[in-house]
Amino acid sequence: MAGIADRIGGGDLKGVIAKNGIFIAFIAFMIAFGFGSDKFLTFDNLESVVRSSAMIGVMALGVTIVVISGNLDLSVGSMLSFGTVMVVDLHDKIGPGPAIMVMMACVLLLGAVNGFLIGYVRLNSLIVTLGMLSAIQGLTLIYSGGKNVDVDPSTQDITWFRIFGRGEIAGIDMPIIIFFVLALIIGFIVAFTPYGRRVYAVGGNPTAAVFSGIRRSRVVFSTYLVSSFCVGIASVILGSRVMGSQNNVGQGYELLVLASVILGGTSLLGGSGSILKTVIGVLILGFIQNGLLLLGYPYFAQWIVTWIVIILAVWLDVAAKRGRLLSPIA
Amino acid sequence: MKFALKRLIAGTTALAGVALAGTAFAETITIGITQNNVGVDSYQTTYEKAFIEAANADPEVEAVVLDAAGDVARQIAQIQDLVQQKVDAIIIWPTNGKAVVPAVRAADKAGIPVVITNSNIAKEGFDFIKSFSGPDNITQGSRAAEIMCDKFKDMGIEKTAQIVQISGQPGYTTAIERAKGFEDRLPEVCPDVKLMETQPGDWNREKSQRVMEAFLVKYDKIDGVYAGDDNMGVGALNAAKAAGRDGIIFVGATNFAVGYEAMARGEYWGSIYQSPVDDAKNALATAKAVVKGEDVPFLNYFDTPKITQDNMDKFTKPVF
Repeated sequence: MAGIADRIGGGDLKGVIAKNGIFIAFIAFMIAFGFGSDKFLTFDNLESVVRSSAMIGVMALGVTIVVISGNLDLSVGSMLSFGTVMVVDLHDKIGPGPAIMVMMACVLLLGAVNGFLIGYVRLNSLIVTLGMLSAIQGLTLIYSGGKNVDVDPSTQDITWFRIFGRGEIAGIDMPIIIFFVLALIIGFIVAFTPYGRRVYAVGGNPTAAVFSGIRRSRVVFSTYLVSSFCVGIASVILGSRVMGSQNNVGQGYELLVLASVILGGTSLLGGSGSILKTVIGVLILGFIQNGLLLLGYPYFAQWIVTWIVIILAVWLDVAAKRGRLLSPIA
Repeated sequence: MKFALKRLIAGTTALAGVALAGTAFAETITIGITQNNVGVDSYQTTYEKAFIEAANADPEVEAVVLDAAGDVARQIAQIQDLVQQKVDAIIIWPTNGKAVVPAVRAADKAGIPVVITNSNIAKEGFDFIKSFSGPDNITQGSRAAEIMCDKFKDMGIEKTAQIVQISGQPGYTTAIERAKGFEDRLPEVCPDVKLMETQPGDWNREKSQRVMEAFLVKYDKIDGVYAGDDNMGVGALNAAKAAGRDGIIFVGATNFAVGYEAMARGEYWGSIYQSPVDDAKNALATAKAVVKGEDVPFLNYFDTPKITQDNMDKFTKPVF
């Protein structure tokens, strides 16, 4: 019980605010948008936003583990393009089940390449995954020959592949269920298992972790497998939702994913952060974009306002931790 | 040697006689082309095939066909090579509308006429080119407006219809022109149709699907959707189908295979047909006319006709 109380700030109000600035920012934005548009807080809209954030969210879960362990993964965007093109292309050729398995195997292999180079060869993760970003985009173009791929329109409404993006259970859309279930599983692993503690240890202080008998290389390697696994799941959701794919469908998504992770409060320096906060980060980003659209801002204003909201959210979070608005030193 | 032999066989087999083949040979026009990125999409691949076929079919033309593979530096080097070879004309499909301008200027100074194909170069290069051959995006946009208006008139809702627009990537000329053509033409043909909102779909079907989901929440009544291309239009269609909103008229500004198929299913109303074959043939004809000193319009567009569910049987399914 004491453990849980510590997690949410130890009982007194100031502590609660300090530890949960990002939640407060989230609630503040929801209320503000709710006043701005009467459609914003309707069930249909909330469901629509969470559904369209789910794919970014699934990828962000994996990237959160990578970032907690002190590394980066910029290759998730083009890996998403690759996975989606592959699973959609193979769907008609070998059937949905085998298509998903083959695609997952290939995506995990790409993750293993990242993990090997960063974990065992110990190259800088920024450089390795930035390289992979363009290498995988090239691979996608070679695989597809530059064509857009589509699931045969006559089977789109009957294949069971459609449940991942278009199905629902008890009235809740499938992408949302996948996102939250995966968040629960990964969140549990990160917070409550010895493996999760090793990930934090490696990110917080790699040298100390190695001296405590943690195999750093293996842990880092595994984080990239988790990340690519999540990309594979996201590819299935995306492919099923759109029933087709462009070669560059995931282009730029790596930055959205990373923005969600950082917005949630996971430190780029490694060693801190949580899955729950990433989920909040994903939702904030999704609701900002949706809210601005409902308020009817032109898109260029949206870009600027998105930036302002991100800065405000991060500032609120940091200020709550410090207990004051500006730097404690200056 | 091999080349000469081929000519000889061609000459002797032709019933018209050797003399005619001889004169054609003497007046051969050499046209060099450097393309943007063949193989990156089916449009460009089909364009190249059609260009080579058209050049082979024309006894007056010898073609030197190059591809820059999306690399500006390589394209500039290819332009310089073509200048060195003293070809009669150069056709360029710019990898980058600004970066190629100095090379175009150098070709022009060397006295070799330049024709730009498919997408134009930056305005500062206009003095150094003879003609631009390609699709007219403004016309595509305004024809899309006519398609939508005609359909509304058929349905008898031209006085009350409300529509939304999903445009291409912000900042791209193609996106801006297709939006402008539509927005200018619509009030002329259907003054009472209300364009409620425009948001970019970035040429991305998934993004467009998300934008449409938000539109569907925001507006209880949407009668039509205009999309900058069929890829985005089909994304919007997906969103409407998922939300169970029937009866929305979808119109795109460039017909893609997915749009063509959706039209065949009766879910998507119409688009604008842009053929890579016509694009390639028009470029070759423009360059040939320039070399021969014929009068060529500076903006030499090829025709991009309207395609709807009513007349789609006259068109083959797009390759892209």
